[in-house]
Amino acid sequence: MAAVEVHKFAKCITCHAWSRDRSMLAFCPNNNEVHIYALLQGKWEKLHVLQKHDQIVSGIDWSARANKIVTASHDRNSYVWNLEGSEWVPTLVILRLNRAALCVKWNPRENKFAVGSGAKTVCICYYEQENNWWVSKLIRKRHDSSVTSVAWHPNNILLATASTDGKCRIFSTFIKVVDAKESRTGPFADSKFGEQILQLDLSFSWSFGVRWSPSGNTLAYVGHSSMIYFVDDVGPSPLAQNVAFRDLPLRDVGVGFDCNPMVFAADLHGIWHFIKFLGERKTTSSGPKYGSQFSEAFGKLYGQQKHGLNNDANEHSRSRGRVHENCINCIVPLGEPGSSKVTRFSTSGLDGKVVVWDMENQADLSEYL
Amino acid sequence: MAGTEEFVEADNAEAIINRIEQKSRKIESLLKQYKTVEALKTALEGSPLNTKDERCKSANWIMVHRAIMAIKDVDAMFSSLDPEYYDILMKYLYRGLSTGDRPTCDQCLRIHEKLTEKAGLGCILRCLADTVNTV
Repeated sequence: MAAVEVHKFAKCITCHAWSRDRSMLAFCPNNNEVHIYALLQGKWEKLHVLQKHDQIVSGIDWSARANKIVTASHDRNSYVWNLEGSEWVPTLVILRLNRAALCVKWNPRENKFAVGSGAKTVCICYYEQENNWWVSKLIRKRHDSSVTSVAWHPNNILLATASTDGKCRIFSTFIKVVDAKESRTGPFADSKFGEQILQLDLSFSWSFGVRWSPSGNTLAYVGHSSMIYFVDDVGPSPLAQNVAFRDLPLRDVGVGFDCNPMVFAADLHGIWHFIKFLGERKTTSSGPKYGSQFSEAFGKLYGQQKHGLNNDANEHSRSRGRVHENCINCIVPLGEPGSSKVTRFSTSGLDGKVVVWDMENQADLSEYL
Repeated sequence: MAGTEEFVEADNAEAIINRIEQKSRKIESLLKQYKTVEALKTALEGSPLNTKDERCKSANWIMVHRAIMAIKDVDAMFSSLDPEYYDILMKYLYRGLSTGDRPTCDQCLRIHEKLTEKAGLGCILRCLADTVNTV
């Protein structure tokens, strides 16, 4: 089995995040609270309940190094939570939005975070030492609809966004006070804050989850039309591939409405394919076998594109035997510290379960790792 | 989608209508030879997806409709219809169902059942979610 841990914490989970050593888990049980569970003597116990938001918490991200939690909510605000003693102390971040915040992500260096919103804007927030205050800078007038997902490039500057206008865009988020000059390397070094670097116009319907490969060379996002899009060589001449699949659409890169994680991988020629559903008890088709000399970069990207698809809840015959019983809406890669390879990931969904998946020890996948 | 690209430049209604007329003659001759699948493929190829001109869409639909109605054995059709046609065929099936015409709907539903088996729910989703490339 690819699912190594299954926990049922609540009726429904909108999003979740792990602490660095995976000993603690934060999630939103579909209300205005964030629950933090910790593994105590082999059992998951509720340690803290973070109550500050007024409406559903739509995004949680836990920074690995600074041990800070950032939350975003439909109440249009964000909080940065800092553990002081045994208490999580919130700091309000005024995003200056007039619509709900939908998603939030720390940048890899953890000195900025990005919030996507229903107000057709993206907020880039950073900490101002002298005022002891998180400042929100907006990227306005670029999106024609809600921003459903954000993803940071490993260089800390580029940010990819997915929006319900069907487009995927890449922006520069260079902010003088927090981004050192030397971090400006690569082809987009001279771009200013909020400058649009690329607009990908592949989808004709809503686009949802967007992810970078760990190397930052490849970008993937999903459309509401049961398509996933892979973009290689992001830059002046990107190479795009559309992969259509036969089941219900994905909600995030790898997870969606079909109750089961989907795995995609690229073959030797860089052509992306759907490989298999991870959660199937018996895999009837192990996917086409391609050459074994899989490049490291693809292996890594593959690691991040763990895909969970959830099935329609009313289709009991199909969902029986699957780990998730309803739509999966959140997927978090669980990389080991010091290793750039990701073989584990966790998913949560509308059935209230958090599932940890492991792609090692799967004979038919090992060649891609 | 088959043949979308070549119509990007020729997005002017008269040119499209002319092409459809040419296609129409080809389809008639294919149907006379009982090559129904070939006729369907020809009808689906180069469908005017990008244009907003209803005349073009209707003209192409009339051809696709003729080809769909000529199909007797649905299973045999799918054994020689390549997957690249599935998405566009699904769109025309929904157009057929929207006419409310009894024989058309019967035929479209028969094909729809097999097509869903073959192409999955994703194919229906792509058809419903795409508001830009309509037929």
